[in-house]
Amino acid sequence: MAASAKVVYCLKNRHKLQIRACPQERGVMKYLRHFLNVSVLVIITTFIVSLLLEFLPLLPQQASVEAISIDTMFSMHFRVISFLFALIVVFMLYSLVVFRNRGGETDPGDHFEGNTGLEIFWTIVPLIIVIYFAFIGAQSLADVTRTEPDALEVDVIAFQWSWSFEYPAYGVTSTTLYLPKDRQTVLNLTSRDVIHSFWVPEFRVKQDALPGKDFVRQLRITPIKTGDYMVRCAELCGGAHAYMNSPVVVVEPEEFEIWLISQQNAGETGDSVTRGKALAETMGCLSCHSTDGTTLVGPTWKNMYGHEVTLIDGTRVMVDELYLRRAILQPNDEIVEGFQPIMPSYEGLLTEEQIADLIAYMKSLE
Amino acid sequence: MATSSASLHRHGHVGGVIEDDHAAYQRMVRMLRIGLWLFIISDGFMFTGLFVSRFYLLGGTRPELSQALGLIVTSVLLASSFYMNRAETLIEHGDREGFLRCTLITIGLGLGFFVGVVFLEWPLAASHIGGPAASAMSSVFFMMTGMHAFHVITGILFLLVIYFNGRRGRYTPQRHWMVEACANYWHFVDVVWIFFYPALYLIGTPVALGH
Amino acid sequence: MKVLKLGILWGLIAQCAGSIIGASLVMFIRILMGRAPIVNSWRVDEPLMVVGGLFGAIGFMYGVGALSDWIKIMRGREAPLPHGHDPRGWSRYFGVSYDHKVIGVQYGITAVGVFLLAGLFALVMRTELARSGLHILRLDNFNTLIGLHGIMMIASILIGVAALMNYLVPMMIGATDMAFPRLNAFAFWLNIPGALLVTSSMFFGGFETGWTGYPPLSAHTFPGVQMFFLGVYIIGLSSILGALNIIATVLCMRAPGMTLFRMPIFVWASLSTSLISLTATQLIGLSFQLVMFERLFGMNFFNPDKGGNVILFQHLFWFYSHPAVYIFVLPGLGIISELLPVFSRKPLFGYRWIAMSSLAIALVGFLVWAHHMFAAGMEEYLRVPFMYSTMLVAVPTGVKFFSWMATLWGGKIETPTPMLFVLGGITVFLFGGLTGPPLGTVSTDLHLHDSYFVVGHFHNTMFGGFVYPFFAAIYYWFPKITGRRMSETMGWLHFWLMTPAFWLMTGGMFWVGLRGMRRRIADYDPALGFDTIHLLVTLSAFLIAISVLIFLGNLIYSAFFGEEAKGNLWASRSPEWQVPSPMPEHNYDEPFVVTGEPYDYGLPGSVYIDLHPRPPEPVRGQPPQLEPATGD
Repeated sequence: MAASAKVVYCLKNRHKLQIRACPQERGVMKYLRHFLNVSVLVIITTFIVSLLLEFLPLLPQQASVEAISIDTMFSMHFRVISFLFALIVVFMLYSLVVFRNRGGETDPGDHFEGNTGLEIFWTIVPLIIVIYFAFIGAQSLADVTRTEPDALEVDVIAFQWSWSFEYPAYGVTSTTLYLPKDRQTVLNLTSRDVIHSFWVPEFRVKQDALPGKDFVRQLRITPIKTGDYMVRCAELCGGAHAYMNSPVVVVEPEEFEIWLISQQNAGETGDSVTRGKALAETMGCLSCHSTDGTTLVGPTWKNMYGHEVTLIDGTRVMVDELYLRRAILQPNDEIVEGFQPIMPSYEGLLTEEQIADLIAYMKSLE
Repeated sequence: MATSSASLHRHGHVGGVIEDDHAAYQRMVRMLRIGLWLFIISDGFMFTGLFVSRFYLLGGTRPELSQALGLIVTSVLLASSFYMNRAETLIEHGDREGFLRCTLITIGLGLGFFVGVVFLEWPLAASHIGGPAASAMSSVFFMMTGMHAFHVITGILFLLVIYFNGRRGRYTPQRHWMVEACANYWHFVDVVWIFFYPALYLIGTPVALGH
Repeated sequence: MKVLKLGILWGLIAQCAGSIIGASLVMFIRILMGRAPIVNSWRVDEPLMVVGGLFGAIGFMYGVGALSDWIKIMRGREAPLPHGHDPRGWSRYFGVSYDHKVIGVQYGITAVGVFLLAGLFALVMRTELARSGLHILRLDNFNTLIGLHGIMMIASILIGVAALMNYLVPMMIGATDMAFPRLNAFAFWLNIPGALLVTSSMFFGGFETGWTGYPPLSAHTFPGVQMFFLGVYIIGLSSILGALNIIATVLCMRAPGMTLFRMPIFVWASLSTSLISLTATQLIGLSFQLVMFERLFGMNFFNPDKGGNVILFQHLFWFYSHPAVYIFVLPGLGIISELLPVFSRKPLFGYRWIAMSSLAIALVGFLVWAHHMFAAGMEEYLRVPFMYSTMLVAVPTGVKFFSWMATLWGGKIETPTPMLFVLGGITVFLFGGLTGPPLGTVSTDLHLHDSYFVVGHFHNTMFGGFVYPFFAAIYYWFPKITGRRMSETMGWLHFWLMTPAFWLMTGGMFWVGLRGMRRRIADYDPALGFDTIHLLVTLSAFLIAISVLIFLGNLIYSAFFGEEAKGNLWASRSPEWQVPSPMPEHNYDEPFVVTGEPYDYGLPGSVYIDLHPRPPEPVRGQPPQLEPATGD
């Protein structure tokens, strides 16, 4: 009794006595059973959540060496997430059930204001964990960006809204990114207009392509599974950003050699229409304009030449060579009804012959 | 006293300058002073952003500018800060005439700086490094000097306000918060130039048209 | 005819007039220079738009009357603050008022209004995404909508944060008002023309850049982007001035005896938040201004062909925009810390640690911005240091969570609506926080960057860190504003509809993000197999919208017909609950004196404040009880 009288005196005169906490019954022993319950529940929940994260197909298939390293990192993250999520949620729900006001109770909860030791503990332990994670994160990054001397070089040119791939060592330009399996490829990314981002989810890694010749950025990928993939622009680039996709094909090295040779032989021949067709593919025209009559982002080229179209201001215009020239160089001056003024200008990107080739190709699509 | 203290507590922070109680005025000025310094810190972040951008974009190069003109406008601005300080000190000592004279000189020097930068240096620089659209370098030059000149103009407007209020006898040795605020703002704009001047005129290799 | 006296009406009229004056000025100057007054049409003539918009905003501030006192003071006149009863009644909410409680409510109403508009944008966008293929929107409309949804939500959150801080901070520290009431009103009213300008970007062709406005896209997209820049610039100015006011108020106007470590915890959160908005906001203003000038004058900061660098923009932009998320969540976390002890009937566990963790988050938050740029092609050597600093943020955040759990532990927990939202906020924010480290670790971020995982992470942190606590705060302090309490039944319904829907929504976002769904796309490849999940996400978005409508109904209904609640409804120890509701005109009849700790629930005989202290000994020239104590 004497002790409790001392507590009451102390409580009443706390601010006079200039002390924060009063001697009172510490509640650790009182809560021992609850702590045990919670620990068991936390362990069970952690186990269930991490099993769930482990076996759900959360990530796309692993198609590159980089993906393996990154996925290892992911599964470490998932485990920590499982534990911390279980820890807090179980503590919260347990408190809500066990320490709830069972209706009409007016007495307050237990009075404890804090525990410096505990606070230091849960500052230091997470600090060690995050520093460790940053450390293995740095290692993982070094792993992902590791360079190999005999890497295949590909210049990737991004533009609104497609991709073009050049193999400088072979003089080949393609709209499909062909990659040999099990050999590192270094992609030299650049952009013709705004910022784009190269992402093949199966390869995991991602890199923005910046405009400007001084801002070429590299991305290294070592594919390990043959198959068809898709590179999608991950950085909002206006207009048809959603449709800025190009196929990526990973093949066996021998097949890759064959493909290269076939491409080398295909270039630089043919008449104006063939050249125009190739140009339309590499310049990305066909990502917005179809050649079979379907409507994409822009008007289809099929049966376009020689017909009249209605512009958004109501005037009618004959699609002839002059109009097409204007439509390529100043695309947003005359917009066909039902379409949006989003096409980038190709002024300075095409030579006169190339424009003529393109128009020849459009003419041929009757 | 308790009642009046309570009412002070209630209205002590009013921004007007009508309270009789000297202590209340002092308390109010202390608060306003904190407000002004917070504003200056905030504005300083913007200037720091410009300053950092200059080094990020231009690195070890700088625009080819007239050294003589740069030195002259810098001296004029520094001199104006001196007169600003005189003006504040004089009103503290109750010398209204001196305060008005020094404020007027500050305004004159401030205008001199503004004219020197905007009407002399800008056309001159445009012939050396091109107009604002010529290159990143010229853009940085016009942006930094322009933002600073904008602050000089607002400072001059502030100075005009205290000059005319001073002529009407609004400021006393005890009560001249507006003068103090204006002076601090003016010194701040001056200090910004102390950083901008070397960044634009002294550091790095000069580059003329192009980059 | 009361309507004619509303300040906001005159503000809007003056904004129109100002816009016309500004545009005419540009045309006049052009005529003087011997050029055509308008280029093409006024809808694409950017100098006309920008100068018109700027003058319009100034016109609004003049018309609404936020400048009149300052003009008087500058002309050497006296402009005493009005005090005593405000005779205007309800209409004082629609014009300039210097009362922080009125301004707080004004902020709150504006925040909810902007929130609804931004939510509407989200619904339109989600409807488009319900199935693959383009259905109801054009590409440029979709791209504009994502940007508008983002920036309007951010504006709404900034305004909502200001609502909480303005209403609560002076009451909690025992001040009669903010340090600078005129500046306070000015800062609030800036938001109206700012929000109008941002919305008006829709009518100038929109902007396709998203809310981040990265050049060179923003330097080439439709003219609407200028209105977006200008509007954000003005809202940012409001945020800076509001923060300045909060800091000065907390530093100078605390009640006697209220040392820094005896302040209610929300005040600590407000102080930390304000430190960020005061300083970092300047950098987003600068970055947007640079692009604006790049468009207006052909400047070349971000044009790589002329020596510019697009990465510079991202550094400037994220220097604000990362700490900005701490501006959004710190007050919300403060609300959680504030309410947990009340409903657990226990002291806040580790008060000092929670207070310091807010400050630590704010300060570390300044050093992490480049983690948004791991894949952006910035200087590669910056990746690892920024990974370390980013991971450090987890430590003070963890301290908060552990302390909250310890606060609940051993309590007598009650779960009325505000507590439901507090607990919901904790779990939602927890998951938002836990999905942070995979984004902060460079190698995993290379996969997740710009994917829907980021979208899910962001929505979890914003809902858990701001939206849930904001709702909790409204349910909790509504009686303080109106003298009536909100309906528990409708509040319960609001919570239990919103929470499962929210988990479904962000769960779907995380899932498709990990599987390879890019963010900000109007259409997705059906071959990816995301159609079903997107449909679920869209449906949950609509469920959330319905729950918010229930909340809105509750708000309006309860304001008029709610159960009366004039006393200390939640048995709180906080100063504002010790006086009757609605809050009296000048908060406290006489300054109270702080005599105890703020959260000593369950300590018999302890009091936090003494509302009627004995008059102190008068000392001439130095009224000691007016001086806020410094230090602890």
